[in-house]
Amino acid sequence: MLHVNTTEWFDLEVIINGRHIRASIPTHLRLLDFLRENLRLTGAKEVCGEGECGACTVLLDGKAVNSCLILAAECHGATILTVEGLQSAAGMDDLQEAFIRDHAVQCGYCIPGMILSAEELLTHTPHPDREQIRHALAGNICRCTGYQKVVDAVENSAKKR
Amino acid sequence: MSEKFHHIGKSLPRVDAPGKVSGLTRFITDMHFDSMVFAYPVVSPIAFGALDGVDISPARKMPGFLGAWFAGDIPGENQVGVILPDQPLFAQDKLRFVGDAIGIVAAETEVDAISAARSVKIDTTPREPILSINASKMATGKKIHENNIACEHRLERGDIQAGFADADVVVEADLVTPYQEHFYLEPQGCIVVPQGDAFTVYGSIQCVFYVQKAIAKVLGISFSKVRVIQTPTGGAFGGKEDIPSEMCARAAVAAWHLQRPVKMIYRRRDDVQWTSKRHPFQMHYKVGVSKTGKLLSADIILEENAGAYATLSSVVSYRATMQAMGPYAIPNIQVHSTSYYTNLPPTGAFRGFGSPQATFGHERMMDILADRLGMDPVEFRLKNILKPGQETQTGHALSTSVGAEATLLKSANAAEWQTDARPMVSKDGRYREALGVSVCHYGNCLGAAGWSMDGAGVKIQINRDGSIAVAFGLIEMGQGALTVVTQMTAEALGVNAERISILPTDTSQVPDSGPSVASRNIVMTGNAIRNAVEKLKPILSTAAAEAMECAPENVAFQNDQVVNTKSGNALSISALCEYLYVTNRPMDALGWWHVPALTYDAQTGRGEAYFTYSYATHIARVQVDTLTGQVRVQKVWAAHDVGKIINPAGLAGQVQGGVVQGAGWAIYENFGHDNAGRITTPNLSTYLLPTAADSVDVQAFWIEDPEPLGPWGAKGIGEPAIIPTAAAIANAVSRIVGQPMNQIPLTPERVLVAFEDKVVHE
Repeated sequence: MLHVNTTEWFDLEVIINGRHIRASIPTHLRLLDFLRENLRLTGAKEVCGEGECGACTVLLDGKAVNSCLILAAECHGATILTVEGLQSAAGMDDLQEAFIRDHAVQCGYCIPGMILSAEELLTHTPHPDREQIRHALAGNICRCTGYQKVVDAVENSAKKR
Repeated sequence: MSEKFHHIGKSLPRVDAPGKVSGLTRFITDMHFDSMVFAYPVVSPIAFGALDGVDISPARKMPGFLGAWFAGDIPGENQVGVILPDQPLFAQDKLRFVGDAIGIVAAETEVDAISAARSVKIDTTPREPILSINASKMATGKKIHENNIACEHRLERGDIQAGFADADVVVEADLVTPYQEHFYLEPQGCIVVPQGDAFTVYGSIQCVFYVQKAIAKVLGISFSKVRVIQTPTGGAFGGKEDIPSEMCARAAVAAWHLQRPVKMIYRRRDDVQWTSKRHPFQMHYKVGVSKTGKLLSADIILEENAGAYATLSSVVSYRATMQAMGPYAIPNIQVHSTSYYTNLPPTGAFRGFGSPQATFGHERMMDILADRLGMDPVEFRLKNILKPGQETQTGHALSTSVGAEATLLKSANAAEWQTDARPMVSKDGRYREALGVSVCHYGNCLGAAGWSMDGAGVKIQINRDGSIAVAFGLIEMGQGALTVVTQMTAEALGVNAERISILPTDTSQVPDSGPSVASRNIVMTGNAIRNAVEKLKPILSTAAAEAMECAPENVAFQNDQVVNTKSGNALSISALCEYLYVTNRPMDALGWWHVPALTYDAQTGRGEAYFTYSYATHIARVQVDTLTGQVRVQKVWAAHDVGKIINPAGLAGQVQGGVVQGAGWAIYENFGHDNAGRITTPNLSTYLLPTAADSVDVQAFWIEDPEPLGPWGAKGIGEPAIIPTAAAIANAVSRIVGQPMNQIPLTPERVLVAFEDKVVHE
């Protein structure tokens, strides 16, 4: 969140959760604020605002990024997936189901970011071992679960793929 | 015949999980109201000194500025102290810590509100701040309040001098535990919505009733004009027990003046600088034992850093005093606890509430004593562990649900505890491993010190369609309350869990049920559910008997149906609920439960400090890198006496999370401040939390020794989950290093220095 005295505007075109979006935005607008404030996609959370906690993680062209550290304007022409985009008409995706089934959720504030980091992992490593899962999720801080059931959920979801 | 349960003891998936995994759960940061504005506090830039004046002219020039209000603009009383009246909502003359609120600014946008609040010029006359327990103790003529002592507690039982005279071995040690920042992921936040002379408040809150009381006092209005609704809360751990009261009351002052909804969310660095933390303790233990290993006498001094205001210190200190020597039988004991004011953020509730600190004290002592006696730490503990019929340190003989010994035996067996204390050394000599053990007890609910407010309620409302809405006075903060309340309601009513919806906690639904703290939700709400169902069941049975034309005693609730046990005929629950409505019967009931009277003497500290205790043993396998000093917890065997399991998967989640949070406190979380009272660890690159890569393999075991007063025999688990961990780790590292590690966190520096000391001494 920046306070600026002069605002320059940028015409953004981006695909978010499969939807083409065009918007005129301030050049200094963070991707996180664009998602949360402009689009009301509030699944991504702001916890630290400094790229340390992973709660604002979204997938930018398939790569997990901290949306608090990226300007919306930088995403021009890109494809973004937020947690709201995981669910289809057929229901939740299997990682979401696994997080519910394996009791991986407590307060839930880190969970959207955690699931998206796990999505990225499973995309390029479909059958990770627990150590690989722990490493891939190390940028997503959780203060409740101790991570054990989160790792269980990712592991069990991978087994089903 | 053992009772067969349909819901108790089953791992019902969390009822709030679907909303949380889909990103659709609306936390306070995600909520908006028409014509809503934003507020942010104006705070003290200094740790100690006089407030000479404020100049708001820079804020007035900010875009969207709507107003600024200070102590003189408070319509009611300028006081938010939760127990002692020592804390103004807005400081008027004296400033006591960096972050002490002076006023509140509102603006049209969040950015503008923060910028405007920061632009206010504050004139002060700074004084040298008091930044430690010892400095507070020594300060003469420099008082933070009328006195630098926030509160004291004592326990005196038996004759400690006679006990020490009989002892063969007497050991003394100083022990130090640090701050812990909650770092709940969701920051503190609220929205206050004015509706004429009444206010509705939404927020991330552990006690809606505290907030109601604080706002009513500050605005000078009745409780009935303040409705507080809890929003889904993204972690709290005690950090949202009292802090929301002051925060919401500040926002309410702005809402009162503006008559517009006011939203306030603390920025993370401000949240760390301004809000509560775990109390740092310094402790002196003197304990005497016989050569056969019987505890004979203990003289314990506890000193706590309370920070700038007393907040919850008196009850944290009470708990630490009442539990200072752990779940052991000891005939002679004296404990004296003192909380000192300092010019640092007020410390308050944090999961365990003084117990992790006291447990660090008694469990390090148990290992030091065992070492001195040449006895195995587990064997030494078994000689003294509290058994049914024996008296606690406060002189309370507990006849049932004393599972301490069972937890110790269970975890020692599982960990294949070896009496040989020598650490395992890796082939190259670099890594050393050892086990450490730690046992704790935890008094359930608020205890004698908080007895008057230790009641809680639920309202069960049956709808015509057969759905059931439950309102409860306690809250969900991530621990799983909504799920266990669903299970316990389903069990008590004999219906499917799918029928049940839990409403957001709301002061207008249930009378004052106090805070969701002290691991009290299952016990309090579970009993209140049973009480409500006792009122509803006769109504339901009579109606069902009438509808099915049978005798009420032949009516049974089974498998989500009402059954005539004589004929085998059944009626659906929805048909019964519709029948209730059309026959004009009551369709709701308020259930209530209060902790029974406790016999306790505050002068001596003797008596029933708590009505029952939960027990736990953690054994940690720890590895130390002798080259870098890095400590890694490889595995923890955690055995907990929970009375009765309500949800096994949720229970395991509590223990896994508690262990990792305890390991964080023991190893990584090195909280700091500078000599001006500013926090030097306000973010995640300076205050290190355990990550998935540091995660500990936790194997949990359950002892079900039912508590007669617990619902279905259950006791609390939220806090016992974290309490023994740090001492178990420190005990393991002490064995590895060969030096007593009596201070945490066990940073690489501290561990390497201990290794060097060992070498020097040898």
